[in-house]
Amino acid sequence: MSHSHFEGLAMDRLTRHISTGSKSTSWRWPSLHQFRAVTLQTGVVPVANGSALLNLGRSSDESIGGTEILASAKLEVEDVDIGGDSSSGVEGGRIVGEKQSSPAAYSHLSAAALDDLQHDYSTILNDVLSHASLRPPNLGIIPGRKAWLLALDLIVLSDVGNIYDALFMAARAVLWDTRVPKTRAVEYRPNREGVKGSTDMDLDPESQSGLDTRRSKAPAADFELEDYWDDGPALGGRDLWPVSITLNLFPGVHFLDATTQEEAATPLRLILVYSFPTKSRAALHGMHLLGPGDIDLAQIESLVKEGEKYALDIYTGLNTKLKDEELRRTDKARLKFSAAR
Amino acid sequence: MAQSGFDRRRVNGPNESLQPVYDDGIKESNVLYKAWKPGEARRKRQAKDIRPICARHTATPPTPFVTQTVLKTGFIKQANGSAYIETEHTKVACAVYGPRQSKSSSYHEIGRLSVEVKFTPFSSLVRRVPIRDAEDRSVANLIQQALTSSVRLDLLPKSVIDIFVTVIECDGIESCIAAATVAASTSLAKAGIEMLGLVISCSGAVVGDDVWLDPNEEETQLASGILLCACMPALGVMTNVWQTGCLPLAKAFQSLQLCQERCIDIHQIAAQALHED
Repeated sequence: MSHSHFEGLAMDRLTRHISTGSKSTSWRWPSLHQFRAVTLQTGVVPVANGSALLNLGRSSDESIGGTEILASAKLEVEDVDIGGDSSSGVEGGRIVGEKQSSPAAYSHLSAAALDDLQHDYSTILNDVLSHASLRPPNLGIIPGRKAWLLALDLIVLSDVGNIYDALFMAARAVLWDTRVPKTRAVEYRPNREGVKGSTDMDLDPESQSGLDTRRSKAPAADFELEDYWDDGPALGGRDLWPVSITLNLFPGVHFLDATTQEEAATPLRLILVYSFPTKSRAALHGMHLLGPGDIDLAQIESLVKEGEKYALDIYTGLNTKLKDEELRRTDKARLKFSAAR
Repeated sequence: MAQSGFDRRRVNGPNESLQPVYDDGIKESNVLYKAWKPGEARRKRQAKDIRPICARHTATPPTPFVTQTVLKTGFIKQANGSAYIETEHTKVACAVYGPRQSKSSSYHEIGRLSVEVKFTPFSSLVRRVPIRDAEDRSVANLIQQALTSSVRLDLLPKSVIDIFVTVIECDGIESCIAAATVAASTSLAKAGIEMLGLVISCSGAVVGDDVWLDPNEEETQLASGILLCACMPALGVMTNVWQTGCLPLAKAFQSLQLCQERCIDIHQIAAQALHED
């Protein structure tokens, strides 16, 4: 299909929006700033520490379709390597995100092109989520020795456009859902009883002084998982996980949530990643321009301000849904269970 | 454990032996920010100063061991266009081949820009493996995004322009990408490929309340957020914006503004370099 055909499709959508009142068409065109329906379910992968299944764009009369992403978070233990390179453990734990495309979603791409696509998306994800400013406070195990590595895997099962927004929404849902197992540091001490012996040698007893801080680093060398009735406390830093908004730019107008054909027709896309911490103002966690078009500084500033409003809508909607999901899986499940007995 | 190696008839050495640690006196910037506290001023430069790039270096260096800062074009004779940029501890070489016939058999009416970046193993403190790394591809994507809208690719159907960037030394990855973009755009111009304007790129780091332009490796570690922007100063448009870290919106706008202003200055240097060579 040639470039002009796609452009025609996108322009079609824009003109229909502008000429409102065209009720003659039975097709309902969404407005430029409206998102397709989003469905979200958490806790879909029982073996993972956190998981979510997100679908963007499934039309209500069909039960199939839409951009579908299955995301899971798995915690692994790694050694803290202070001064090592970025692929080794860090004091306090770290997050590594990876996006995988199922070949079913991109059947028109070769394996190498699929790898490249995966890599590009993963880079944008990691640029945002692996940054030190988003590191959760409770991913450390033993200070200076062991920490959790949160491996965040997002698998795209089908792609009908607006993949970045869906990826970040799914990532936020998974990180909200993740529970960190409780650990307890253990220390192995050799048996001291053999030391007491002859009285003719002048032995200094081990100083048990509380002011002796040399012992603070040495003891905890290992840890064990506590036996707890639930999977552990939730991952910290919940209000920090960002959401993204992709603004598809035409000269003079921008629209959200593009389908695959609309994306192909758009000369420039601006991907903005915002976080809305409860105690301070909104912050920008990522900004990427994609496409062969260009833009000037004043336009970028106005788009960033508008993007904040759209992102806030997504953020609040997602929060409501995630809280609902949490209730469904904890309190409501308990009520159902006790009612059935 | 050490029973088998333990020779009771001889004086044994220690069980564990380590390499001697050398005093690294060459890279003095390593200790520049050791005692730095948030809120203090930038070391060695002003907040808004970039590391200097000159169009042509003088015949005799002023003093030994002072690095020359340079933007030279046409130093790879076999390429259609080439440029070498050097700013203190960042050295990037770029070569452009094209427009030449595209290897793929499918017809495309708009030419393609293919950017390949290679980091030499000795370009950073930790040795990089010579095989193709994941980081090479993301750097190449950023450079390609910056350059694509500046080249008249619609005049080159079925053709591809190959840009090969070699990073010889890298001090701060974002500044390195910015330097590589400038070198690539200058080499494209040197190759005589039709362009809408030179693409100039500048990076800025937000440290506390200040914006420091062209940060080196240490300064990027201290920063709360980094911004990289590429623009065509001749037309006043931006072709690439890339931001990481956590930045309040006002700071992001401020650094964009500063980066764009600095790009206008760098543009003069690049234009002069092309004019002289």
